[in-house]
Amino acid sequence: MKNIMDNIKRLKDQGRKVIGCFPLYPPLELFHSMGLAPVTLWGLRDSLPRVAESDRHIQPYACSVARRLMEFLLKENSSALDGLFMYNACDTLRNLPEIIDCGLADAGRPPLPIFKMHIPAVPPDQTDSRPYLRASIEGLIGELEKTCNVTFAPDKFRRSISLYREMRELSKMLFASVADGSMSYGEFSRIVTEGWFIPVEDQLLVLQSALRDNFRKKTKPSPESPRVVVSGILPPPLPMIRDLENAGITVVGNDVASQNRALHYSPPAVDDPAEYYIDFYHHHYPCTTLLHSADRRLPAIRKLVSDTGARGVVFVGEKFCEYEYFEFPYLEQILKEMGIRALLLDISLDDDENTAAYTTRIETFAELMHSTV
Amino acid sequence: MANENTAKSGHQKTAAGRRLSKIMFNDYMNLHQKAGEGAFVVWMAIVVPAELFSGFENVVYGVPESHAAMSAGKGVGPLQCEKAEKMGYSMDLCSYARIDLGTAFDGGKDSPTMGLPKPHLIVSNNNNCSLLVKWFDIYHRTWGVPHFILDVPFCYEPQNARDLDYIVTQYRDLIRTIENLSGQTFNIERVREALENTRDALANWKRFLKTAASRPAGLTAFDSFVQMAPYLTSRGTKTLADHYRLLAEEAEDNIAKGIYPVPNERYRLLWDNIAPWHQLSRMSSRLASLDVNLISASYTYCIGTVEGELDLFAYDGGDPLVYLARMQNSSICPHGMSLRFRAMRRAIEDWGVDGVIFASNRSCKVYSIMQMDMLKRVTNELGIPAVMIDVDHADMRKYSEEQSFTRIEALLEVIDARRKEAKLS
Repeated sequence: MKNIMDNIKRLKDQGRKVIGCFPLYPPLELFHSMGLAPVTLWGLRDSLPRVAESDRHIQPYACSVARRLMEFLLKENSSALDGLFMYNACDTLRNLPEIIDCGLADAGRPPLPIFKMHIPAVPPDQTDSRPYLRASIEGLIGELEKTCNVTFAPDKFRRSISLYREMRELSKMLFASVADGSMSYGEFSRIVTEGWFIPVEDQLLVLQSALRDNFRKKTKPSPESPRVVVSGILPPPLPMIRDLENAGITVVGNDVASQNRALHYSPPAVDDPAEYYIDFYHHHYPCTTLLHSADRRLPAIRKLVSDTGARGVVFVGEKFCEYEYFEFPYLEQILKEMGIRALLLDISLDDDENTAAYTTRIETFAELMHSTV
Repeated sequence: MANENTAKSGHQKTAAGRRLSKIMFNDYMNLHQKAGEGAFVVWMAIVVPAELFSGFENVVYGVPESHAAMSAGKGVGPLQCEKAEKMGYSMDLCSYARIDLGTAFDGGKDSPTMGLPKPHLIVSNNNNCSLLVKWFDIYHRTWGVPHFILDVPFCYEPQNARDLDYIVTQYRDLIRTIENLSGQTFNIERVREALENTRDALANWKRFLKTAASRPAGLTAFDSFVQMAPYLTSRGTKTLADHYRLLAEEAEDNIAKGIYPVPNERYRLLWDNIAPWHQLSRMSSRLASLDVNLISASYTYCIGTVEGELDLFAYDGGDPLVYLARMQNSSICPHGMSLRFRAMRRAIEDWGVDGVIFASNRSCKVYSIMQMDMLKRVTNELGIPAVMIDVDHADMRKYSEEQSFTRIEALLEVIDARRKEAKLS
């Protein structure tokens, strides 16, 4: 928590207005171009092991992402934010804005402006949702200008696009270091997670430095090392990543929402933010939460497995995330037909600290993979 | 004494109940029969506007959620859930979905209605519940059936013009999709006729619900739970309009004759969440034995209304697509907390509710996540005691009767204590 809050306070000290964004795929470039500092409020796992405040407002069968988000806001962190942004990412998250209002009121704290946006969920070949999304983006800009006393400028937007594009490209290059064995997946996850809470300019410096270090110590993984794709909303908890690596498994493919699904695609720079985000959401890397991308998801998984030469997929199930869990049986079947092994690890909020139960399953999975390499 | 025995026995099947059984039997028989004769079959989520399908000569529809509720009510919920779980579907997923997947992939075996005939098109919507889209995607992928997603923005406030236009655009695309797939031509006049039937049906539905204001109440929420079924399978028909007229008349007539479902009613409670389908009989009997009447439920009073209202939002004869787009917000789950609270306040005040049972339901996060704050608001702002119990709407394995009734009895004690205090002061 301290690091996250230190980062946010640093932004405030620089005179930036900070917008806390609900996961998963907020329009970061837009906020940045308007002089706002967006922080995406996921990856709070290491900072918030307990969610006592959240438990007064949300039942324990909500996912850990929502519960930690709530906890973060109710633990007096809301005063460090100038606003929140949320979109229709899932049924749980869409209920949160008014619960947050209640929680802040209970604590005697002022309400936070909450900017809400509906991102169309229809496939483009079914309904042309572009006019709707255009109006939504334009509405959001108008609201931000009015509430935060900022203005939109096309040249600044282009610059922000280029910064975020570079950040995404460097992040993908860094992941390539994980895949080629010269970097720990745990270290990659740490860097990406911290990146959600620092300005994109600083993120670029961190990524460039990490890439330089990895270039110097480049090694090749053992050819016998079992190669897997990791899939889920959040990366596995660090102790679980250590278990994977101790078992000799190399993570060569990434289908994690807070990592590659978020980083994969950057549209070309344009002046028109509506045009940019129409492209961004329509062509976004398929995600279980982007309902319109369902038909592209299976081919994307197949391609990822095939391109990386993975022999297994580790699903990191975010407990109670229905979007993910509805797909597991089907994906497992598809992978089986491809001769790819699958391992599902359910991670609930308490499991972040108690991963020992998974060690045996990971070791067994690794042994099975070794036997078929 | 005879009257008291009747009161203690809980929910009784009335003439309307017997008529309901016939309607439901006919609806499912017709669905299977017409599908067998070549009708174009749609599977739809409950908030998809079924009246649109009336615009076609030969389109029939099945409602997986409604079928799952019926399966749960008939006691086969866990059996069908287990089939889905054996296929790898997590027990944490919605029990309607697990029942439906278990039924569909086992060819309708063990279903009270032989399941549903296989669809030519699946239509989901995401404002009532967005996981429906994922659930229906499974059929889309497995069977290669087209899946049309109705994308309806969630409402924290009454629907705005931009959202309404967006929904109407999608209806036009849906109509075009059905025309292309079925080869049938759409006729908007048929939809208009269907909406007139729906308007009459809903007006009488509201009349029926208003008998809750009587003391004792003229209905129980359990009656409304079972009687909502044909609204999902017969929308837009004269059969439904006639049935709800007779239902309302029967309830009013019973009040006039002094016949009440819980004659010794001492506690008038409101239920917040989907019906506990597997417990209708047991729960209503046990509550009646405690002189408790669940006189209302947010699950059924939202039918026919829009955002935060309790009164009927009636079809006015205008553009059917515009009306249907407004009614896309007619369920409870598409509403934010403020709107839900506004409607609940009206129900509590208009119908004299003594306490609220918030049924926290793991299978329906969209309904349940916000209930903890709703409970506080009901208690603090309205001064009405409330309790939260855990009930899964269709999977009885996730329900403990004793735990629930311990809490409900505690609620009754609070109501009694308040009454004593009020008397003393």
